[in-house]
Amino acid sequence: MSGFGEIAERLRRSTVEVRIRGNRGGGSGVVWDPSGLVLTNAHVARAGEAEVELWDGRRLAARVASRDPRRDLALLRILADGLEPATPGDSGALRPGELVMAVGSPLGFAGALSRGAVHSIGPIDGMGTQTWIRAGVRLAPGNSGGPLANARGEVIGINTAIVNGLGVAIPSNTAADFVARGPRPALGVALQPVPLGLLLMDVEAEGAAASASLRAGDVLLLSLDELHKALDSGAEVLRLRFLRGAADAGNERLPVREASVRLAARRAEAA
Amino acid sequence: MSNELTALSQQLAGVVERTGKSVAAVHGHPRFSSSGVIWRPGVIVTAEHTVRREEEVTVTLPDGTNTAATLAGSDAGTDIAVLRVEHQGGAVGKHAGGLPAAGNLALNIGRSKNSGVNATWGIISAVSGPWRTWRGGRLDAYIRLDLTMYPGSSGGVVVNVEGEPLGIATSALSRIAGLAIPATTVDRVIDEILSKGRVARGYLGVGLQPVELPDHQKGLIVLSMEPAGPAAKAGVLIGDILIALGERASADTDDVQAALEAHGVGKSVEATVLRGGASRKIGVTIGERPGRS
Repeated sequence: MSGFGEIAERLRRSTVEVRIRGNRGGGSGVVWDPSGLVLTNAHVARAGEAEVELWDGRRLAARVASRDPRRDLALLRILADGLEPATPGDSGALRPGELVMAVGSPLGFAGALSRGAVHSIGPIDGMGTQTWIRAGVRLAPGNSGGPLANARGEVIGINTAIVNGLGVAIPSNTAADFVARGPRPALGVALQPVPLGLLLMDVEAEGAAASASLRAGDVLLLSLDELHKALDSGAEVLRLRFLRGAADAGNERLPVREASVRLAARRAEAA
Repeated sequence: MSNELTALSQQLAGVVERTGKSVAAVHGHPRFSSSGVIWRPGVIVTAEHTVRREEEVTVTLPDGTNTAATLAGSDAGTDIAVLRVEHQGGAVGKHAGGLPAAGNLALNIGRSKNSGVNATWGIISAVSGPWRTWRGGRLDAYIRLDLTMYPGSSGGVVVNVEGEPLGIATSALSRIAGLAIPATTVDRVIDEILSKGRVARGYLGVGLQPVELPDHQKGLIVLSMEPAGPAAKAGVLIGDILIALGERASADTDDVQAALEAHGVGKSVEATVLRGGASRKIGVTIGERPGRS
């Protein structure tokens, strides 16, 4: 017989605390396979190096193996024996009303358990078109990257945010796709929506946008949803229309330029 | 692996799936949406405080389609608004009219336009008898919920683990918790709104303040008066102390509300007042409380 307590105890052994050196706070993570892959949020694993603390107190250096900022997922690689990976569930079969529990390190309390029920499954206003799991579980900063599990103790989501008091998790099927196929194509930029389109705030040196000669300050002439759709279309090359120098142009009409952005190919099948 | 928790989890999800087929999203407020329940075929009930438009109210039906709804009427006192839609889809299950017990598990089932059906889970935290809301309406029972009310939760249906409707959830009737407007109250208010377009509430047209009388009695002193209101027409004066309305002593404004309800709009009732220390009886014809305008 398994109740919340027994299931939570097993889940704790698959849950880690993630800290970034020099940063206050941190998050949680899920041991995804026995070889040392740990899944967490991209917003938790910001730098290339992290420290992971296992349930038994072992502290290990971790390398950020892969990041997908668009889906807010990251994979850490650790070297350790005796890891107890979580059992992933099928988030596609999840229904509102199902009992769920979250384990993590909210506000630094390692192994804390919250329980509740699935509130809804679907997109959230202002958070793109992707599917999220919302759950009536009490989360706090530090739960980010940790597991949301169903009544069988299977991980069906990665706790990521709190919106209007509800816990918001990335579905485990999305996480499994990320682990198997790597990050989805990205421009490698920091964006901000502006009336004309999307302003590039920052361009990563080696990213796809930088290779196509896009620069900070350029304004892409499309919406965030349109950009995400284009990035997920499977196309290898995106032709993006943009304006340059829009900030200083005043009333002057600027020519619409076009950039061809070559996207990194994804792995087709599970590795 | 199967266990009791899994069985309960699947039962709850099953109730949400079945009941969700009778729950709509209601777009009746400029800033937020709420939930509504297809209580009878073509009749959607929601929380009155979430409807701030008389026209252009739309609903997202369980099948995901959007349709226009007309406001048949609403009652701020019980926080119930009744909408009519063309949709003839399945109404929520019948209720036995019984009350839950404190400690029973309960679900509140709502809907939003984007993410579909939604559910919160908790317990019934308190149940007691008939109760008057701070908005002046009478609920057949006080059913307090220990489940979190999120934006959009109001107007959803509160059900037990068997899926039997217990009432409509509202966050506007109590500061400390969500409440369920009892199913029997919902029935009564719908009947009244569908037959008369509104819930008529008795009205005297006076402002009253409780006062202690020398003989340890209590009464209500008339502090203000609607110029052409029912009490003014009957000859009540400012400064009169109301000590009884009909057979019922008036120690508190609740007593007056109860007496008005017992007699009904249009009926005559004998008011006993103290004027200059002397008791006198005045016949008042109960008026109807004017609506919000």
